Amino acid sequence: MKTIFGVEASFKQLFAPFALAAAGGAGTIVAGWGAWGWYTVLWAALLLAGAAWCAFGPPVGGQVPGGDSMIVRYLHGRDAFGAAVLPVWSRHMENSRTQMEDAVADLATRFSSIVDKLDRALHVSSLEGNQGGQSMTAVFSHSASQLASVVASMKSAMQSKQAMLAQIRDLERFTRELRDMAEGVASIAAQTNLLALNAAIEAARAGPAGAGFAVVAQEVRHLSSRSAETGRNISQRVGQISSAILAASQAAEASSDAEDQSMQSAEGMIDSVLADFRTMTDALVQSSDLLKQESIAIQGEVGEALVQLQFQDRVSQVMSHVRENLALMPTVLEENRRHFEATGELLAPDPAPLLDALKSTYAMAEEHAVHGGSRHVAPKAADADEITFF
Amino acid sequence: MAKTILVVDDSASLRQVVGIALKGAGYDVIEGRDGADALTKCTGQKIHLVVCDVNMPNMDGITFVKEFKKLASYRFTPVIMLTTESQESKKEEGKAAGAKAWVVKPFKPEVLLGAVAKLVLP
Repeated sequence: MKTIFGVEASFKQLFAPFALAAAGGAGTIVAGWGAWGWYTVLWAALLLAGAAWCAFGPPVGGQVPGGDSMIVRYLHGRDAFGAAVLPVWSRHMENSRTQMEDAVADLATRFSSIVDKLDRALHVSSLEGNQGGQSMTAVFSHSASQLASVVASMKSAMQSKQAMLAQIRDLERFTRELRDMAEGVASIAAQTNLLALNAAIEAARAGPAGAGFAVVAQEVRHLSSRSAETGRNISQRVGQISSAILAASQAAEASSDAEDQSMQSAEGMIDSVLADFRTMTDALVQSSDLLKQESIAIQGEVGEALVQLQFQDRVSQVMSHVRENLALMPTVLEENRRHFEATGELLAPDPAPLLDALKSTYAMAEEHAVHGGSRHVAPKAADADEITFF
Repeated sequence: MAKTILVVDDSASLRQVVGIALKGAGYDVIEGRDGADALTKCTGQKIHLVVCDVNMPNMDGITFVKEFKKLASYRFTPVIMLTTESQESKKEEGKAAGAKAWVVKPFKPEVLLGAVAKLVLP
């Protein structure tokens, strides 16, 4: 390569135009102006065009002397272009792939956390699986049974009290009989007194012979008086006892009525509380059932999401394979240039080695399908019958 | 006591996904980022099953299974290959290395759990 006026030019570019111009000048001189003048001008124009082509046209033949041609510059530039651009593309792809993987891993972690929390919430709220091993329904039944036995005990106590009240009423009847008997004693005493008085009269009429009999009559009157007094005392005591028994009976009856009302009120309240409790437990059971159903549905959704998340792995693999293939491109371009420099033969880069290398990295059927021309291949998750057991 | 499963995959997200499925079913999970990393986790503790990817850096899954099976403690530990590879030739390589099952990604969690339940050591 030589430099003329600061411009690099090849041998052909430097000397061929001058040679052709000289040939044109010589032809013009030889032919002169005349009948052949226009042919001479035409000849000169053709020679000048040839000179211009030599100066500025593409090199002739496959050989480029000294490898200094524009093509070589282009090929070097193309290598530099590949070396500059392709690593950037690769880094962007790898960065995107890494970001996607990190994001999906984070997403999977969050899903995992959601599933854990859901399990814990379900465990805590589960009526069948709580720590005591007792369900809310069982607790309710147990409570209702215990409260029913309490009410039954209270009713039994009330019945005992009613029996005692009946016995007190019997006592009152006995005291009435005692009072009648006391009155009978008083009546006998009055008749005895009357009889003794008659005897004393008859003894006085008998004179001295009836003096002893008068003493007996006096003693009988004295005894009847004491009997009457005793009868009155008995009647008075029995009256007092009867009044006490009546008062006790009335008090017991009033107490019994109050307790009966109290028990009925307690029973009503217990029934009301149990009804409220039943309503609450029914609502909780329904809520728990709903939670279980929702939990199962959510877990199903999460399972489906886990399947979808796996597609990141597939995309990541495809991107890695393409990135690795891109990294081979500078070498292919360099080899293409070296081939030109060695042989002078300018060949288009051969895609086959790159495509073969790319194909050799394929792991998935969809990669082969896409390589073969398919535009969109969406693999589905493997079913149980697609497992291969060895 | 929960059974322990070693999950080997170079994809962190896949390890997470497999971990969620296995932990949800009551298994303990230990992880390996690739074959070489997983071998460092095999220090004699009880491992009831291995779930292993095939294409990984440093040491691929087939090589890992071969090395794993050389360890006396794990000679009878079953291995499930979990991979995007579906070529029969690859499956044959896995079988020759000592794997017991081959599951292609993407997988349904219940499908993987079915295979795990069938093969996991008592």
